[in-house]
Amino acid sequence: MKNIFTGLTFVLITFVIITGIVLPIPDIPALGDKARVLYFHVPMSWISVLAFFMSMWYSIRYLKTREADYDLKSYSSAQLGFLFCILATATGSLWAKFNWGSFWNWDPRQTSIFILLMIYGAYFALRSAIDSDEQRAKLSSVYSIIAGVTVPFFVFIMPRLVESLHPDPIINSQGKIHMDSTMLTVFLTSLVGFTMLYLWILNMKFRLERLQFKKLKNSEN
Amino acid sequence: MTSLYDFLETNSMYVVLLIVLIIWIGIFAYLRSMDGKIKKLEQDSPV
Repeated sequence: MKNIFTGLTFVLITFVIITGIVLPIPDIPALGDKARVLYFHVPMSWISVLAFFMSMWYSIRYLKTREADYDLKSYSSAQLGFLFCILATATGSLWAKFNWGSFWNWDPRQTSIFILLMIYGAYFALRSAIDSDEQRAKLSSVYSIIAGVTVPFFVFIMPRLVESLHPDPIINSQGKIHMDSTMLTVFLTSLVGFTMLYLWILNMKFRLERLQFKKLKNSEN
Repeated sequence: MTSLYDFLETNSMYVVLLIVLIIWIGIFAYLRSMDGKIKKLEQDSPV
């Protein structure tokens, strides 16, 4: 089953890389071929949101059950969310250099993702500052829930409230998707492929964290 | 082989495609091997 999952992940992302680079796209004013960044940059952003929500969900589960595994899952997901958030920032910034003329210009999108990175940076600082396993799990779970609540505001609401140079979100303010059907197919495949990649890495990261946790517990006893 | 070289020389987009594919295949293979190593560690020290 696992081989099918990883195999499908490989096939989907390979498909996105090939079609994303080779297939012709319609002429989009002011964007041109740079619009292809959509196939890779948006999934990074989507996964960071998903990972932060998953982290919040596992934190809620931890506070309900007090099972250490949920805390480790929450931590692993937050780490991946942070990584993909950095990738979204870096890819967006490189694109901005060629479309807006500078890597960073405090556009609402850039500002909101920067704040999000700081919020989750503080989460890791909090975790590393507490020695007791139980206390660390409890406090960081509460923090992760509060941080998770801010994510929709910074990703979906704030950039829509303020005037921005950033291209329209995929689902625009009228709630509709305006995209060429070929581009939409590649884009949706990309979302599915990268989501599967995230789930696979999350599974590995959690298993590694659990092994480390057990080893630490064994050495204490 | 020469024709492939000529093709890539005139269609630089495909060179980029090859580079990205090599990177992706490398990352994928690394992840697969890491998954296998974690599995082995789990078997050695059952959780």
